Amino acid sequence: MERLVAPIKVCRDCDTAYAEVELGRGELARCRNCHAVVARHPHADIDKALAIAISCAILFLIANLTPVLGIEVAGTRTEANIWKAVLSMGGGWTTLSAAVLVVTMLLAPMLQVLLVIWLLSFARFERRSPGFAQVLALLHELRPWSMTEVFLLGSLVAIVKLANFLPIDAGPGVWALGGLTILLAMLARLDPSSWWALEHLEKP
Amino acid sequence: MQPVRAIDLGLMTCRVCAQVIDRATVGANVRCVRCHRVVTTRMRGSVEKSLALLIAGMILYFPANLLPVLHTSSVRGSSDSTIIGGILEFWDTGSWDIAALIFLASVVVPVTKFLAIGLLLWTVRWHSAWARHERAKLYRFVEFIGYWSMLDVVVVAITCSLLQFKALASAEPGLGIVFFCAVVVSTMMAARSFDPRLIWDTPGGGA
Repeated sequence: MERLVAPIKVCRDCDTAYAEVELGRGELARCRNCHAVVARHPHADIDKALAIAISCAILFLIANLTPVLGIEVAGTRTEANIWKAVLSMGGGWTTLSAAVLVVTMLLAPMLQVLLVIWLLSFARFERRSPGFAQVLALLHELRPWSMTEVFLLGSLVAIVKLANFLPIDAGPGVWALGGLTILLAMLARLDPSSWWALEHLEKP
Repeated sequence: MQPVRAIDLGLMTCRVCAQVIDRATVGANVRCVRCHRVVTTRMRGSVEKSLALLIAGMILYFPANLLPVLHTSSVRGSSDSTIIGGILEFWDTGSWDIAALIFLASVVVPVTKFLAIGLLLWTVRWHSAWARHERAKLYRFVEFIGYWSMLDVVVVAITCSLLQFKALASAEPGLGIVFFCAVVVSTMMAARSFDPRLIWDTPGGGA
């Protein structure tokens, strides 16, 4: 039986096979058939991605340690952030929603950022991180379940909703969430799936 | 030029890491050499899984809309509001923009997903060659809009954590929100269970 010699790329959306092409910096290759992205320039800008991921971690901490929103009525103050929103759903059947919120608003984004930092801090020194393949595979699987931007939009809706009849104020957390949303989008644009090209790096 | 398809070359591709594997060199039940996830030529039971999750989502959408999602009480009395009720309240108080936003996230997005996934499954079931390019786009669109439906869940959760002034004003989540969460999760899983390559697995596929 004949064997294929050229490295092959396959479109994940329509199964069209292509001979791998050399891509220039910032270039991407689209499927001729269905226009899905088949390949990107593999030379991930590691320092840039690492800087973004570390900034994400800092903003994530701020967003979770400071109030996102607050209301003060007659000397009583209530505050909201991701964790408090989760807790307010606790108890009884609504705990199931609390669980979905914990995963999508807290665990998935947190793990995403930590895994990227782990992977790239090794790659930066030309090393392949322990668990390299598992980390990248997990990053791929986490991606759709990470919903920080939805929490940001939800906070903005809550401001408008409650501002009609209560003195609501935005805390530092809302700015941190805004920054986090932008940085996570930038990180996604750097396309972690192209980091499979880092596989050739030596083990530590 | 007629596109060459991996399935015809005897190749399969890992869904997770895009590693291409020559089927002739491996057995029937394999894991990816790179990321150790199960690799198949086509996702196993894709249509059945996706259909089951879609139907589950559609059924759950009824209690999600009929049961209250938010219970508020204040000195002026207490009230239960459903998703639609909340939208109408925004509309009545002049916040038509917020009403439109929540309507988009809680009604338009889920219903669009039901119709789109339903259409994809139906056409794949009958090996239809109709509008392949448009269906490929529709699939990517459904993946992209999927999670925005969580918006109302977040709004309810934030409202409940802020409105904790005992008798003065307080809010608690209603059972409807659990069903709504389940709709979002099941439709997202339905979209992810669908194998988009099936769209092109038709006579003259990939044209």
